Amino acid sequence: MLSRTAENLFWSARYIERADSLARLLEVGYRISLIPNTERGYTNEWESILETSGTRNEYLKKHKTISKEKIIFYLLFESENSSSVKNCIKTARENIRMVRTAVTLEVWNAVNSSYHELDKNMRDTKSLLKELPEIIEWIKKQVNLIRGTILNTQLINDGYDFLILGTYFERADFTARIINVKYFILLPSINYVGGDIDNFQWSLMLRSISSFRAFKWAYGGQEISYTKIIDFLILNMTCPRSLIFSVEKINHHLGRLSKFYKQTSSSNKKIGLMYKNIKNLNADKITEIGLHEFLKSFIEEINFVYKKFEQKYFFGLET
Amino acid sequence: MYNEVYKNSKVRKFYNQIYDWAKSLPENVVVKKKNEAENLFKKIGITFSVYNNFDSSERLIPFDMFPRIISSTEWKKIKKGVIQRALAINAFLNDIYNSGEIIKAKLIPANLIYKNPAYEVKMIGFKVPKKIYSPIIGSDIVRINENIFKVLEDNCRTPSGVSYMIENREIMMRMFPELFEKLKIETVENYPSYLLDVLKSLAPKKCNKEPKVVILTPGSLNSAYYEHSFLADLMGVELVQGTDLFVDESITYMKTTRGPEKVDIIYRRIDDQFIDPITFDSSSLIGIPGLFDSYKSGNVNICSAPGSGVADDKAIYSYIPEIIKFYLGEEPILENVKTWRCCEEEAKKYVLNNLNKLVVKEVHGSGGYGLLIGSKSSKKEIEIFKKKILSYPANYIAQPVLELSSVPIFDKKKLSPRHVDLRPFCLVGANKTKLVDGGLTRVALTQGSLVVNSSQGGGVKDTWVLNE
Amino acid sequence: MKIKIAHSTTYKYSSTVPRLVQCLKLYPSVCHNQEILEWETSSSSGKIVESHIDGLGHRVQNIFIKNFSGQHRITSKGILKTKDLSGIVKGLKEKVNPLCFLRDTDLTKPCEKIEKISNEAKKNNKNIIEFAHKLNLVVSNSINYVSGSTTISTSSKDALKQKKGVCQDFAHILISAARFNNLPARYINGFLLDEKNSGENTTHAWVEIFVNDLGWVAFDPSHKKCIDDKYIRISTGFDFEDASTIKGVKTNYNGDEFLDTKVDIENCQ
Repeated sequence: MLSRTAENLFWSARYIERADSLARLLEVGYRISLIPNTERGYTNEWESILETSGTRNEYLKKHKTISKEKIIFYLLFESENSSSVKNCIKTARENIRMVRTAVTLEVWNAVNSSYHELDKNMRDTKSLLKELPEIIEWIKKQVNLIRGTILNTQLINDGYDFLILGTYFERADFTARIINVKYFILLPSINYVGGDIDNFQWSLMLRSISSFRAFKWAYGGQEISYTKIIDFLILNMTCPRSLIFSVEKINHHLGRLSKFYKQTSSSNKKIGLMYKNIKNLNADKITEIGLHEFLKSFIEEINFVYKKFEQKYFFGLET
Repeated sequence: MYNEVYKNSKVRKFYNQIYDWAKSLPENVVVKKKNEAENLFKKIGITFSVYNNFDSSERLIPFDMFPRIISSTEWKKIKKGVIQRALAINAFLNDIYNSGEIIKAKLIPANLIYKNPAYEVKMIGFKVPKKIYSPIIGSDIVRINENIFKVLEDNCRTPSGVSYMIENREIMMRMFPELFEKLKIETVENYPSYLLDVLKSLAPKKCNKEPKVVILTPGSLNSAYYEHSFLADLMGVELVQGTDLFVDESITYMKTTRGPEKVDIIYRRIDDQFIDPITFDSSSLIGIPGLFDSYKSGNVNICSAPGSGVADDKAIYSYIPEIIKFYLGEEPILENVKTWRCCEEEAKKYVLNNLNKLVVKEVHGSGGYGLLIGSKSSKKEIEIFKKKILSYPANYIAQPVLELSSVPIFDKKKLSPRHVDLRPFCLVGANKTKLVDGGLTRVALTQGSLVVNSSQGGGVKDTWVLNE
Repeated sequence: MKIKIAHSTTYKYSSTVPRLVQCLKLYPSVCHNQEILEWETSSSSGKIVESHIDGLGHRVQNIFIKNFSGQHRITSKGILKTKDLSGIVKGLKEKVNPLCFLRDTDLTKPCEKIEKISNEAKKNNKNIIEFAHKLNLVVSNSINYVSGSTTISTSSKDALKQKKGVCQDFAHILISAARFNNLPARYINGFLLDEKNSGENTTHAWVEIFVNDLGWVAFDPSHKKCIDDKYIRISTGFDFEDASTIKGVKTNYNGDEFLDTKVDIENCQ
């Protein structure tokens, strides 16, 4: 397969996942905004969401003030924001369009129609807040539709691996970032850890990654606790948004590529090591290392794997 | 003007069955089928609707369901004539880039070649693989009467439209399978495999294994991108862009997920100037640095060869009959349209005195630029052109207003005649020529119009060559 | 005359160059005016790959470099034996018809001043070669030689407008004027041994004009004369850009490039 084809497949899936993450992030913001704003810890919630999306600086260049409506519009529809939902879907479509014949008609139609329907869902900033839940629902539905057509209609060949890898590189990065943000931005001070606000925010975060119910199922009706959350979001193989799950997927699909092409790269070795390490971890050990330190090095390691993977398959430079 | 269906108000024999069929279709069925055709185009020819535009407005070229029929006798002549031109054009290109015998024989003025910007100095003296410069030639043919077909122009660089030829047939076969049982119609679906076969026969000197063919496209924003991807798909070859290729140690590679893969033959759908920023336009971002030297060192073939365009120059066109006689020792089978070259004194006089009756064209112009249609121009416009011709006569040629034959289309309730032309696609390989029995029929959808270009309201028809 | 030449071009890059391809035309022309006794080209990084001999007789070579950083030097050196053939270039091994060199390029498009120059040169000439000499003289006086006064993209029109230029501009003006008068003309890159003023031992540019019966005749408008045995002919083309001895393209590179050239020419009689 042409390197460009692999790259286009990878990025289209990655942008779709990103649109999904953004929608979930906005959902958190929306839920927080429904709670009376009495505690100090909530005042910056929209700013934190902006921060998590990684677009805070760009936003502030365009808008002087932090405004709920403006942030929502910026994250959903702003054409100047290269990672707004609109641009994510647009970029995903452009990537797929260039390799039209590498995906099935169903996948193309799902991506193409999402792109065209997006305009219909555009709102101005005024009515945006009111209709936000509807828009978020629509985005999640489209993403699931696209992902479903990929799973059900694509041949399970190397192209499929690149698509899936796009999804999980993005998800690993996003989950790691959102857990990190939880601690260093959402909470005003470390004293809050374990308090009511803390638990409330953890539950919001779980919702944002669509894992609230799953968590309840996995740990029974028990109260949310710090170690359980760490276990669930980082180490639980049954949670599709946990870090270990993404690492396992990346490891698996890089392994498949390596078998398929009968070549290995240093990305295989590194991800294998990451998987082995994360399997042997437990929540206490992570607390010992420090959650922030752990996440920081996790993000760095995943980036390293990506760089090697990119050099090998997209740039044709030996690794 | 010649009507291809009627003769003395009677339907010609080989159109009988189709005519009866068309007449028998109730109006609502025609409408229904028209919609069906359009939907099929959108669906199977998804490439048409989604590739060639930014916004979602689907730009389909209008398709008319009434087929254009060519009898096997008529086709035999066209086929022979088209092949003859294609061979002569390649012999001509090989000559002018090497010894220039035709110029020494004073059959073509030296200036016309050497001063021509399309004549690529960097190609001089280079031995092109198998001496084939232009392996794909699309000649535009018009029908004047019962016996005479004339060639309006030859496209030697990268003629487009062949995907329509194939898709039109696909649509007709899906919608009216019964017609294909009644009439024996030559198939056109072999074109992609013929093309691959012909390209593979043009492997470069240093290729000693099964050659690897790729199609080089400027990218998805190009208006013919759908055709590039369509052909790549049907030929089973990679569709590459400039950034997918690179040259190392004189060898051309494409970047793949398995690592660099050597490329032997590039069917390029980009213009000469964009091939290689080192040799040609240095500001080109879509070219491949070093490709031209890789080509000249015999490591890769570029089809068509850079500089092939000199053969479809309008001034050279008028010499094609001489070119055929000179290289093949044969009389031209297909006629040229009468052309006055303003560089010749007598011709210039005639043109200036008859501007209101003629079509004047700039020699290097294309796409309808620098054109004067005398009968449709104001006195002022004619005066302006007169001055232009006088100041630089060699830059102009003139032709009579063409008489295009007509074939009916389904026009609302009834069948109504419209003017058509025909573009067959001739393939020239090493010691072989291939031409599928068919071509692209373009039709002017406006009554009385002679403009068949899709950009100006033209449509397409399926073209049936009968197997009798 | 026996002339020894050493020429080097050094490129420095501010960051890593992912891919660099260069095309070299660094071999002296094969013709009766000069005999190559020794010549070699070398590169400090990336080996030199032979490509082909083009229609104009250039021996074309390539250099391909990947993931390169630092300094890259291309050197050509050797010894030639030259002859003074009164400016007439004989025995060139080329396949290009001279009429090709009637085409204008962006750098050599004629302008009003070119028309004036040619009108001035047209007076009282017995034949074409006399006219060509006159043209060379008029062009020589049309601008002043001021080093550093123009850039690589200065056209003949621009140079005439600002009334100054370097050898490249003199050459472009003469080319424009010759072609304007329907005389095929082309740009020549080479070396000039100038013993009187050793500081001017340098790369140089001049013009060849095609005169029926004589063939290509080389004029140096910067020095108001025809070439002699102090001139070494390297490459030719429609204009400065086309005749470049080294052309290169870097892929995916955003850094800076610094260029340094060095020439040594000596008479080794």
